[in-house]
Amino acid sequence: MTPPTPYVGEFEYSVLLAVLHMDGGDDAYAVPVRALLETRTGRPVARGALYTALERLEGKGCLRSRMGDPTAERGGKARRYFTVTPLGVRALKAMHTSLANLSRGLESVLEPS
Amino acid sequence: MTTIASPQPPRLAERLLRASVRDPEWREAVTGDLREELAVLAAARGHQAATRWYWRQALPLIARFLVSRLVPALAPPRRRRLTLAEIEQTSMLGAGWSREARHAWRGLRQRPALSAVIVTTLALALAANAVVFTLADALYLRPFRFPDVDRLLLVSSDTSTNALYLDRESVAPADYREWRDAATTVAGLTAAEFWDPNLSGIDVPEQLPGFRVAAGFFELLGATPHIGRSFTNDEERPGAARVAVLSYTAWQRRFGGRADILGQSVRLDGEQFEVVGVMPPRFAIPYGAEVWTPFAMTGEQWQQRKTGNLIVFARLADGRTFEDAREEFTAIVARQAAAHPETNRARGVTVLTFERGLGDDAVGPLLAIWQAAALLVLVVACANIANLLLARGAERQPEFDVRLALGAGRARLVLQLLLEGACLAVLGLAAGSGLTVLALRSARTMLPPSVIRFVPGYEYIRLDPMSFAAIAALGAAATIVFSLLPALQASRGAGGAGLARGTRSTTASAGQQWVRSLLAGAQVALSLALIVAAALIVGGVRRAADGAMGFDKHQLLTAELNLPERPYAEPARRRQFVATVLDRLAAEPGVRAAAVASTIPYANGFSQRPFLVEGAVDSDARDEKRTADLVRVSPNVLDTMRVGFVAGRPLSDADGADAPHVALVSRALVERYFEGGDPLGRRFRLAEDGDWITIVGVVDDVIQDWLSGQRRPTVYRPLAQDPTLHMTFLARTALPPDGLAPAMRRAVAAADADQPILKLAPMTQVVTDRLAGIDYFADVLTAMSVVALVLALTGMYSLMAYIAARRTQEVGVRLALGATRGQVTWLGVSRAIGITAAGLAIGGGLSVVLGRVMASSLFGLVRPDASVILAAVAGLALIAITAGYLPARRAAAQDPWQALRTD
Repeated sequence: MTPPTPYVGEFEYSVLLAVLHMDGGDDAYAVPVRALLETRTGRPVARGALYTALERLEGKGCLRSRMGDPTAERGGKARRYFTVTPLGVRALKAMHTSLANLSRGLESVLEPS
Repeated sequence: MTTIASPQPPRLAERLLRASVRDPEWREAVTGDLREELAVLAAARGHQAATRWYWRQALPLIARFLVSRLVPALAPPRRRRLTLAEIEQTSMLGAGWSREARHAWRGLRQRPALSAVIVTTLALALAANAVVFTLADALYLRPFRFPDVDRLLLVSSDTSTNALYLDRESVAPADYREWRDAATTVAGLTAAEFWDPNLSGIDVPEQLPGFRVAAGFFELLGATPHIGRSFTNDEERPGAARVAVLSYTAWQRRFGGRADILGQSVRLDGEQFEVVGVMPPRFAIPYGAEVWTPFAMTGEQWQQRKTGNLIVFARLADGRTFEDAREEFTAIVARQAAAHPETNRARGVTVLTFERGLGDDAVGPLLAIWQAAALLVLVVACANIANLLLARGAERQPEFDVRLALGAGRARLVLQLLLEGACLAVLGLAAGSGLTVLALRSARTMLPPSVIRFVPGYEYIRLDPMSFAAIAALGAAATIVFSLLPALQASRGAGGAGLARGTRSTTASAGQQWVRSLLAGAQVALSLALIVAAALIVGGVRRAADGAMGFDKHQLLTAELNLPERPYAEPARRRQFVATVLDRLAAEPGVRAAAVASTIPYANGFSQRPFLVEGAVDSDARDEKRTADLVRVSPNVLDTMRVGFVAGRPLSDADGADAPHVALVSRALVERYFEGGDPLGRRFRLAEDGDWITIVGVVDDVIQDWLSGQRRPTVYRPLAQDPTLHMTFLARTALPPDGLAPAMRRAVAAADADQPILKLAPMTQVVTDRLAGIDYFADVLTAMSVVALVLALTGMYSLMAYIAARRTQEVGVRLALGATRGQVTWLGVSRAIGITAAGLAIGGGLSVVLGRVMASSLFGLVRPDASVILAAVAGLALIAITAGYLPARRAAAQDPWQALRTD
């Protein structure tokens, strides 16, 4: 039985998208994800909020993580790399679809002029 | 990116951060991320800016992780489906805390009376415990705070088993010297001797508490002078230049803390002493000493072993124990007894730790009782708070049921109650700490200055943050735990179960009511025990202060003074001084009679001597337990004090220095040593080589010893035949005695303008001062028992009021079905009677035990008294049942139809 598609909030949605951008690469950990979120949305992102969202998304089964190798520039600490799971992709799609459905017919208002 | 050496983040910040993250992988990832960014930032903006940045980043992270760690409800979920309620909660993440706090605060303000009662209860209990703990710590547990004080000993030649009466100043000079040479278990021995010199030559003459000490005195105690130096061995020789060391307080008070005090000359007992040093603040050993000077005894004086008045201290050698020292001193003293049977035959030795040696032994049992009382108050307070909070929880049960049914998490309810408990605890702590500071301030000021000198550790009576924190933590924990209980109880039943049960018929569950009855009963029991304890002590103090003393303390002015030794070395000069003062005093208008005595009742300075009757069996005579108090008096002292005369003749002016030696004895002495036979004409002496003294009269007993109230064998000798340096003038006045104080000063100044008066006070004041400590003790105990009583009554009232409220409908049904109001009232009252009776039975047993313990530990001050216990039981029963009756009557007075409609 497939698990039901989890509900993700607005911020979690953004985080999931950012991770998807980095997915599979060496940049799929918190520092670059946060940098990407800030540059793309133009809003400051609180570190704690990001960690909470990442942990929560993992708890919902939308993300999976693994620890990398310790590096010197991090004082011998490892990175925690994230991958979006199929369930995460489904959640993204569901959110995306519902938003798209909601926005249909509003293109004149929403499209950047 | 260039490779740079990885900069170190602020250690504290990183450590805190590490501690706040629970998951080890997250911990590594989070700290690593920060380090990575720190390295970049440090390269760009420098180390300092990077460090500041790190702190700014770390603090919110720490807060966030800590919160989710402490409140699991707020932590991200771990792989499970979300409920609707949780979705709501997640979106409220940021607002949750402040909202819950607002709810909690509102919850408290909705029931202001209840909240106020809880806060007051907590504050009182905290203050009582903090004050008592502080006093116990300062006066009894750690009155002396300097390094290695636990290696110091006090050695005495007295062997009184009761430490309270142990004569510390009892070692003969020759004994001391032999101990010093023989003892190997101690690294050193030193001695001191009372010497309260008159400081004159600067404005008002004053008597300073002082000691003559051996040269190494300060070194042995491990004290170094604040400025200047201590004494050299050369200065201990007779004829050496006279030097003195001042205490810090004497230096500040009398010399304004002048830096040029060293090398200055001060006048002590009419002689010039060079000040060579000042001791550091708080060093006042022994007995509040303010000035020290070296011994100046000749070789001959050091050979003296007949009597002794040295107080001897020793420091344990490395690796030796207290027991080692005790054994060795016992052996040495046994050898001395064999070598010098004529003086040392019956002499023993007592080795005490420094604290027990110089501490006040009377304080221990008193403080133990205080401590027990304070703990009882805390227990009663906790029971009270628990009871109130449980009642409140039961009252809010429907509210919780509804919220649970609507999907509020159990964690959420717990959080809100936790916050409410925390608010109460914080308010209680704030009020409690204020109260503690005030109480400690009054604890300091309520002790009369004349007593403070003999209260070691007095200067440590102040709030100790650590102990207060410990007590506060206890109180806060109790409050929070009991505030959580209702929430746990409420959330035990899942979802709609509570609603289905309905609120209409709810009386609390049987288990809960049982707990609350138990709490109320315990409060009654404990407060009864406290009240009895307080009543017994108050009764004892009143007996000591106002009971029969054998003399009339009213309209009697006293002036205590010490003549300096050297100018008054000649007995003739002392007689001259006494005669001049008495003549001047008698001539003052308003003085009915004037007299002098070496010691007066209820004051310091007993003089105890062996009492050796002529012709008595040798073994009796040698028995050092046959002692009598020796008081030297002017002939008219018994008239002046209004002591009853029993037989024989009074003393007269004819019993002068050259007349045959005579004495009056007390009735107790006759009963004890003459088995009630006729003592008149019999002879005795007060030392083995003393002069024979003839008994010429018997007088009534005077209570000398305030603590036991015992009638002690007393010998009254004419002062002219044995003039002392320490004496107290007494003036029987026609008017209130205070008005004659200037006359007393004039009379003393006329005899010697340099002579200070140690204490000038009406006799009633002398008695009060003497009882000040125990009086204060009784007052505080009374206050505590009143607090406990009020708490117990609050508990009983709140329980009954709560039960009555919950039974409103039941009462309505009963009334509607024809029960009389009396029957319904009885329903409530019977419960109060049951609880009260059970509480009183247990409390009565407790009281009896407590009375026995107090009687045995308080030296006869307290006498267990069944009537006191019965009176307390009756009084408490009456008010406890009244507290139960009032709510029951109110419940019965309602309109039945109204009652039935009540929700």
